[in-house]
Amino acid sequence: MENTVVKIENLVKRYGDLIALDHLDLEIKRGEVLGLLGPNGSGKTTTINCLLSLLAFNKGRIEIFGKEMSPVAYDIKKNIGIIMQNVAVFDELTVYENIDYFCGLYITDKAKRKQYVEEAIHFTGLEEFLKFYPKKLSGGLLRRLNIACGIAHKPELIILDEPTVAVDPQSRNKILEGIQQLNRDGATIIYTSHYMEEVEQICTRIAIMDKGRKIAEGTKDELKRMIKNTETITIEVIGLSDADRSVVAGLPHVYDTAYDGSKLTIYCSGGKHNLIRILGVLQERELSFGRVYTELPTLNDVFLEITGKALRDKEE
Amino acid sequence: MFLHNIKYELLTALRTKDLIFWLILFPILLGLFFKFAFDGIYEQVTQFSTIDTAVVDETDDTAFRSVIESVETQGKPLLNVVYTDREEAKKMLMDGDVKGIIYTGDELSLSVAENGIDQTTLKFFVEKYNLNSRIIKRTAEKDPAEAAKAAAVLSETADAVKEIPLTDGNTDNFIQYFYNLLAMVALFGSTVGLHISNVNQANLSAIGARKNCSPTPKSTGISAALMSSYIIETLCMILSVTYLRFVLGIDFGERLHLVYLSAAVSGTVGVSLGFCLGSLGSLNENAKTGISITLSLFLCFLSGLMVGNMKTIMAQKLPWFNKVNPAAVISDSFYCLNMYSDYERFTEKIITMLVMSAALALLGFFMTRRKKYASL
Ligand SMILES: Nc1ncnc2c1ncn2[C@@H]1O[C@H](COP(=O)(O)OP(=O)(O)O)[C@@H](O)[C@H]1O
Ligand SMILES: [Mg+2]
Repeated sequence: MENTVVKIENLVKRYGDLIALDHLDLEIKRGEVLGLLGPNGSGKTTTINCLLSLLAFNKGRIEIFGKEMSPVAYDIKKNIGIIMQNVAVFDELTVYENIDYFCGLYITDKAKRKQYVEEAIHFTGLEEFLKFYPKKLSGGLLRRLNIACGIAHKPELIILDEPTVAVDPQSRNKILEGIQQLNRDGATIIYTSHYMEEVEQICTRIAIMDKGRKIAEGTKDELKRMIKNTETITIEVIGLSDADRSVVAGLPHVYDTAYDGSKLTIYCSGGKHNLIRILGVLQERELSFGRVYTELPTLNDVFLEITGKALRDKEE
Repeated sequence: MFLHNIKYELLTALRTKDLIFWLILFPILLGLFFKFAFDGIYEQVTQFSTIDTAVVDETDDTAFRSVIESVETQGKPLLNVVYTDREEAKKMLMDGDVKGIIYTGDELSLSVAENGIDQTTLKFFVEKYNLNSRIIKRTAEKDPAEAAKAAAVLSETADAVKEIPLTDGNTDNFIQYFYNLLAMVALFGSTVGLHISNVNQANLSAIGARKNCSPTPKSTGISAALMSSYIIETLCMILSVTYLRFVLGIDFGERLHLVYLSAAVSGTVGVSLGFCLGSLGSLNENAKTGISITLSLFLCFLSGLMVGNMKTIMAQKLPWFNKVNPAAVISDSFYCLNMYSDYERFTEKIITMLVMSAALALLGFFMTRRKKYASL
């Protein structure tokens, strides 16, 4: 069996003057959960749409299951499940009918389809809502229906484009667990999101995108090792003089400090016992300190260090 | 795959509120409105009765006498004639025993005491008779052998009178409104047709995108949607004709089965028009629904849905337009069926509709055939 499920080479997509994808290369191996992480507008959806042969692109090559993808590559398409960023269900059909309809575009055998539809309903926990019309479903349930419609035919490759946008935390956790379950059941997964926590939580490999380019790629640990920050220490301390601060800044492994009059932030790169050493200095200089925090780097730090800007300002 | 698609397309359509409104409720209400608005006129037409007429025949015109006997309308004699002298005739007219007096002579002349439908009918009859006899006389003068045709032509007068617009042309106008109402329902089929491109095109809807990702070819999805739209629209047309004919009692003539046929064919024109419109540009479905409803109403307006003689006006100003305005072609097909006993004009209209429908559907197919989109 081919081990590479998706291979994107040198993909370029322009919208007029705007370069939405800038020579993108990406490979996804069987059994992976690949996270495409990037801020809004970084090109995640564009990548997915090109991958699916919905969008015409200017340059590049896309192979899925070892064959060139095209709009008429039906043998490839039948093994892909797609959950779009926008919910795509018929308002006039009930939950059950929607799942059956979309599953029917893939599975012609009626008995098999019935079984698959029921499994999808069970999997997404929609049993109690079979006769509901989409308009009557909450945001979270609607997203689950959207997922059920995309995965009922048991595809080998499942693509989810921001499936948790505007979903309550409970539904979000259920969706994330579901995706991991699908992966354990054998599906290869591409998951796009601008929420780094989600990506960290479920993805076995992460590609970080910005402005249509892939700026970093690897497991979350690999990504974090790419940057020099290993630890950020924050200490509440009042009356720190410039002399005090330069002593702290001169300690081994400390590469930057910041002080705002009440909080001292120290950025460390590598080394051990950094915190103890810093607190030792403060004690020596008879400075009393309040609370102390220490943080390990996040994907946001990775993004920040590579692009010079935060992945996103605040949770919206 | 195809049947699966048809099944769900039908289910979706039957649950679409817009569709139920525009294709079922709206025509029912408008039909009811027309019926009330024209009811007075309609009563008079349906209660047509033989017109009592006095004839002063001082020239003993045998040709005239034989025509009178053969003229009838709606199975009843057109005129109930009393032969009498001038004095007596005038008295009868004053007393209201007769509606008019016809004087024979070189030409027929008519005198009436008041204005009304019966009087108009008499006037029409007299004019038509005079016109025909003038033609005969002229022919006979030129070529006496041709005079043999006189009788034939004269008896045509009887036929012509059968086609009299009995109520100042109001019957015509009145029923034209209902023909145009049917044309409207047919063209509203465009809202059903719009849906076809909308749910099958990745750049028009998320559902379209999802369907385009599946291994079901786009042509299958589109043909299934087209087929189910035709079915839905045909049902709506059948419903409208049945409602107008059997609930409101509108008289579509003898050949009702052909009225149904024409209704079904005209429905496909609307659906294909919508399919074609829907494939154009990337406006959302609501905007396109608005456009197609407006367009349908406008075409029907030009064909006489709101103002009865609009079609005649168009025929004078833009003679070619009625031939290509689908609303005019559709309403004409019903009109021909009621007016002419032969099938020539009716067949022509049906063929025009089929050609329009096929051309629009092909255009739609051509435009949706695109596989990848430059922008979603
Ligand atoms: N149809 C379009 N026309 C023009 N520009 C577009 C279109 N779709 C997306 N873009 C632009 O392409 C870039 C990438 O968009 P997208 O792939 O949707 O980003 P993401 O999914 O990561 O939020 C953005 O700058 C966006 O504005
Ligand atoms: Mg996106």
